[in-house]
Amino acid sequence: MDYKSDPNKIGKWERFFKWVNGEDSIDSVWEKEMRSKITGKRKKRRKTIEDTIERINSYSKKIYIILSVFITVVYIGILLYTVYELPEHGNPLNPANNEVSQRYIEHGVEETGALNIVSAMILDYRAFDTFGETVVLFTAVICVAILLRRTDEDKTDLEQDSFKSDRGDILKFAARLVFPIVVLYGIYVIINGHISPGGGFAGGTIIGAGLILYSAAFGDEKIKSILNYKSITVTTVSCLLIYFFSKGYSFFTGGNHIESVIPKGTPGNILSGGLILPLNICVGIVVACTMYGFYSYFTKGDI
Amino acid sequence: MIIRAVLASVFLLSGAFVFSVCVLGLFRFNNVLDRMHAAALGDTMGIFLTILGVIILSDNIYQIVKLALIVIFIWMTSPVATHLIGKMELLTSDNKKFRKGRNIK
Amino acid sequence: MRILEYVLLIFLILCAIGATVSKRLLVTVIIFMAYSTVMAVIWLFLEAPDLAITEAAVGAGVTSILFFLTLKKVDSINKGTREK
Repeated sequence: MDYKSDPNKIGKWERFFKWVNGEDSIDSVWEKEMRSKITGKRKKRRKTIEDTIERINSYSKKIYIILSVFITVVYIGILLYTVYELPEHGNPLNPANNEVSQRYIEHGVEETGALNIVSAMILDYRAFDTFGETVVLFTAVICVAILLRRTDEDKTDLEQDSFKSDRGDILKFAARLVFPIVVLYGIYVIINGHISPGGGFAGGTIIGAGLILYSAAFGDEKIKSILNYKSITVTTVSCLLIYFFSKGYSFFTGGNHIESVIPKGTPGNILSGGLILPLNICVGIVVACTMYGFYSYFTKGDI
Repeated sequence: MIIRAVLASVFLLSGAFVFSVCVLGLFRFNNVLDRMHAAALGDTMGIFLTILGVIILSDNIYQIVKLALIVIFIWMTSPVATHLIGKMELLTSDNKKFRKGRNIK
Repeated sequence: MRILEYVLLIFLILCAIGATVSKRLLVTVIIFMAYSTVMAVIWLFLEAPDLAITEAAVGAGVTSILFFLTLKKVDSINKGTREK
């Protein structure tokens, strides 16, 4: 191309020299052209990208629906096949009815002194497993505290007011009636854990629900005199320590427990079963504190 | 014995009737407060009649006491829950009828 | 008794499907609560009263409260519809 023939256009080298010399006479027409070309390309490219994203989204939605249905159907099929392959419920020849459960059922009462065989298993024969479960709960409340705990500086005034608001007399009256019954039932379930169905987890959850009811009905201030951060920490950790020192050596000795000093007592009495009753009480206290801790961290961000 | 069975079956059937009316009301009514009224009917009256029938049938005194305690506990808690739901509906609904009652605590 | 067990199992399956299908999160939590309550009765039929007590207290009581509190925290009790 002959640049010299067109007065508006200059050769590349000339333009380069002029640019190096700092002259301002570089024609803006060319620049604009190039710029509009580049931006047009960009716009086009952006449009195509958006289009492809939309297309991928629509496809992926379809694929997502198809895949979810497929995976669910496959999963249901696997589970149903497993259930079909399972031995019949209640058959005496099942593999679950081996010498271990026979030993537990036949000698459980005389060896542990607890009428409730489930309680005897989870708190005497396999007590370290239950210790693991209790520690899992404690860890859960620690994680919730790490994630949700707020100091007073973080709270806004509106939040602080919302927990002091009036709940109404009817709820307060009903809570005053119901709360002792709930806690009493929880204590009953814990203390009768080795005689009747129940135990630390169930009773502790019931007591925790009662504490949640009390805290929801009467507000933050009344319950803080009994259950604050310090008291909850001290009780939970001391209960866990009691549990650890009474049953934690099983991690090192295996299933051979040290002969308990506490007498077994007559099976059927409340004061029987050796260490099962205190361990039940410990588990119950830990679970109740954990449940209340969850609630108060979720609402107020603080115990 | 026959009298007891007849009496118990009368109470149980009336309890089942109250429950069916309660479920019908729950599905039939449109307004929240109406539905709540139907549900509360089942919670109090239906449970009372049903458990009264079971109490008449049972022989053990401890069973009777436990069933009576269940009735008392449900009568203490369920109306309060209904009251709280109704209060919440009054305070937050868009219905113009309820705007007058907004100041109720 | 057998018929009651089957009715409860069918209700359990319906609850599980309803909890996943329903659009509002609040409805999902309430259906989950019903699921836990029915599950407690089924544990009782399977001769596990310990589990029945725990399921009724944890599943229907505390877990639902925690779910409600979470929904309140993320402000989705009223407007909480799932994305389509």
